[in-house]
Amino acid sequence: MATIKTLFNKCQILKSKTPLLSTFIQQNGMSQYPTYYINPIYKKDALEALIKSGEDQNLKHIPTRAALNNQTCSTAHDDLVNLFVNYVMKDGLKPLARDLVAQSFESVKRLQLEKYHKCQSEEEKAKIELNPKTIFYTAINNCKPILHLTPIKRGGVRYQVPVPLTDKKSEFLSMKWLIAAAKEKDSTVRFHLQLARELIDAANNTGRVIKRKQDLHRQCEANRAYAHYRWS
Amino acid sequence: MRYTAALFKSKVARPIPQEPVPFQEILPLKLKPAVSGKGDRTSEVCCLQEMSVMLACFKKNEFSQQLCSKEIDSFQKCYTGHLATKKVKKDKEAKGVLTPGEKQLSSKQVNTLLKKFPNFK
Repeated sequence: MATIKTLFNKCQILKSKTPLLSTFIQQNGMSQYPTYYINPIYKKDALEALIKSGEDQNLKHIPTRAALNNQTCSTAHDDLVNLFVNYVMKDGLKPLARDLVAQSFESVKRLQLEKYHKCQSEEEKAKIELNPKTIFYTAINNCKPILHLTPIKRGGVRYQVPVPLTDKKSEFLSMKWLIAAAKEKDSTVRFHLQLARELIDAANNTGRVIKRKQDLHRQCEANRAYAHYRWS
Repeated sequence: MRYTAALFKSKVARPIPQEPVPFQEILPLKLKPAVSGKGDRTSEVCCLQEMSVMLACFKKNEFSQQLCSKEIDSFQKCYTGHLATKKVKKDKEAKGVLTPGEKQLSSKQVNTLLKKFPNFK
């Protein structure tokens, strides 16, 4: 009886996932998978959590897409770093972008170690963060803007209106600014070194990117009178 | 010639309308069984109070965020909450779900209500 019940449940899950039309017409753009294919769960902890909660039984017989070639369960895999690599990438040269980011992490480590060994006392040494990944995370977190300006036309005049940002958009802006700041350099300086400097500066709440963010906030403050022109 | 032509005209150019004006029914004299939903588009700007408080704090503390973390938190909480409630409301309105005793109805809800209780004649 129980087996029949579970089978019935599974059928229902499948049914809810498949719209009638999609069996005949592919509504999924250029994707080779029909719409009812679900995304793979490739992270170990997410998988373990699913197994613990017992939800994996529901997903067992649903057709699943193959994992992309950058989705691994490796401990070195990091979503934010991967996203940053994608933003650094130009013309689809991903190995190059990955190398650049890895090199800049190495430079961060070198620069921080240099500072660490120059320190005289233990207290100063304890203050210096040596993990490049935590530096990367704090740098991106520090560079996130809260507001930005959008032009809104009212009565024939374009006003620069301060508008709140979603978390995703602000994260994107902070990464974009970090990369732009790293590209703004002398031709003798390598990109990864400049990026490392910018990351360390941003993690310490100083530097060009932080200044850029504060300038944006300053402009928003100056245009706060137009805030009620916003759409929502 | 012009003057005489005007003078000889027996009637005035535009006739004065007769006193009981005859009624013309241009559109049918009944309400439509639905509403258009154009009136729903009013936009209220959210979180203005929190925003101004935050910006004032920024100005006071030279745009450093550590000193204004409380204001920033309240602003962002307000904005994310607003987005969430907007989404819930939109989903609800798209379905046209009616909750008994609701005062402010969306156009979809009004339409479902009107369809449920049509005005027979």
